[in-house]
Amino acid sequence: MDILKLGHVCKSFGNLSVIDDLNFTVAEHSVFGFIGRNGAGKTTTMKMILGFLPLCGGEIYVCGEKVVYGNTKTNRHIGYLPDIPEFYGYMSPKEYLKLCGQITGLKPVQIQKKTKELLSIVGLDGVNRRIKGFSRGMKQRLGIAQALLNEPKLLICDEPTSALDPAGRKEILDILSLVRDKTTIVFSTHVLSDVERICDTIGILNKGKLVLQGELSEIKSTYRQDSVRIELTDKEKILTLKEKIQRIPSVSGAEIYDKSMTFNLSGVKETGAKILQLLADEGMTVSKYEVLEPSLENVFLEVVK
Amino acid sequence: MRGYIAFTRKEFTEQIRTYKTLIMLAVFVVFGMMSPLLAKLMPEFLSSMAIEGVKITMADPTYLDAYTQFFKNITQMGIIVTLLVFSGCVSSEVTKGTLINILSKGISRSAVIISKYTASVTLWTLSFAAAAAVNYGYTAYLFGSHSTHNLLLSCLCLWLFGAFVISVTFFASTLTKGNYGGLLVTAAILGVLLMLNMMPESVRYNPVSLAANNMALLNNTVSTADMMAALGVTLVSTVLCLTVALCIFRKKIL
Repeated sequence: MDILKLGHVCKSFGNLSVIDDLNFTVAEHSVFGFIGRNGAGKTTTMKMILGFLPLCGGEIYVCGEKVVYGNTKTNRHIGYLPDIPEFYGYMSPKEYLKLCGQITGLKPVQIQKKTKELLSIVGLDGVNRRIKGFSRGMKQRLGIAQALLNEPKLLICDEPTSALDPAGRKEILDILSLVRDKTTIVFSTHVLSDVERICDTIGILNKGKLVLQGELSEIKSTYRQDSVRIELTDKEKILTLKEKIQRIPSVSGAEIYDKSMTFNLSGVKETGAKILQLLADEGMTVSKYEVLEPSLENVFLEVVK
Repeated sequence: MRGYIAFTRKEFTEQIRTYKTLIMLAVFVVFGMMSPLLAKLMPEFLSSMAIEGVKITMADPTYLDAYTQFFKNITQMGIIVTLLVFSGCVSSEVTKGTLINILSKGISRSAVIISKYTASVTLWTLSFAAAAAVNYGYTAYLFGSHSTHNLLLSCLCLWLFGAFVISVTFFASTLTKGNYGGLLVTAAILGVLLMLNMMPESVRYNPVSLAANNMALLNNTVSTADMMAALGVTLVSTVLCLTVALCIFRKKIL
């Protein structure tokens, strides 16, 4: 079943068209990575899904129900983590979750149970200070806790890791992987390593359109292009090596950087053997020979060109 | 409904923890205490400042002077303090973005506004009642027991005017963006009403007369019946301001 469905969604601010005929669906229990540059329209799209912004055209369905601008009932299925979550600074995390629970209509017993459970998942149990003094990372974690409070079918996270240090980022990703079997996650980001860590499907947004969508593993194999990096001990020989390697027909795009050289090739096995032969014949001492993994970064840069 | 109750409770917590309750109660209790005291001491102040050759003679102050002071303080400084305390009530949450989380939890936007109005008017009522009670007690202590015409009605008028002012700030802050737009629009609206009050034909219906005729009611120069039109107009305007605020807020881009 599709938890989220966007059909022909358009949005413009004045004359500036931000989203132009955006279509995509997110299946239940998947982690959807919503990727795009800064200003590509990720936050705008998420705000439209939550009914915080009016559409200029098209329709959005959450769990089969249509999203209406303003007071939308579909929000009961959604947990939302804004890019910079803002809380009431004079409350403690427990009080804040209690307020959220009361608004969603949980029973007091449930609120207490969920609060305890969630605060321990996000590592804020025993923190009784007021939110005022929290760091960005702590606020982000509390944000996840509040988003998960009503056991949403769809968890929307708007760049949850962008402003965090590596440790904080790892914590957030760990929390998200913990909850992935309970809910469907839509996760926007421009940090591609995060996407590779937890997403199973991705969509790349560029100029208001989804330029690429599908399963991460499939996309990676479609865009697979093997590349090899060779590093020599002797810097002077690298130019000769480049010249000779370019004569091999299946090699393309050789680039030199200091003592190392990177190039693309087809058929790592056969061509690779030829290259090793070449190195042996020339008597070059290799300090490193590396077959590079196709990265999402290359795919991203290619499709948003 | 459950959203309304939870959010109203949150509003009261906010008032207490951000010292709004303390400020309002303190200011109003001070007004209640100061007014009779000032009335009592004014002649002595003046005589101690007597300039040579000039003799200031004043009639002995009465409890009516205490009430004059009281209504002057509340209608001027009291209303200004109220305005400052409640003007950011809606706009600060919109500009900070604290409402985004709460609204994504499924509370209706109308419930947010009505909760905020309930909590604000409750605090205004408490503060004003405290001021009036302290003023009454202190006046009785300093000037002896007294009976006044229309004291309750006079207070009711002023209370309704306060509730009206709060509804205007709500309307104004849903209309404008940012923190100070609301305050500015409210000041403009009150300014217009004050100017209208200079036209004798409009006085009868003008909400401002609820805060201008308090002493006249006590002195019996204005009768109860004269106030009814203004009371009605103010009540309707308050409801109207809130309704329009609700309509705007429901479609406001957050």
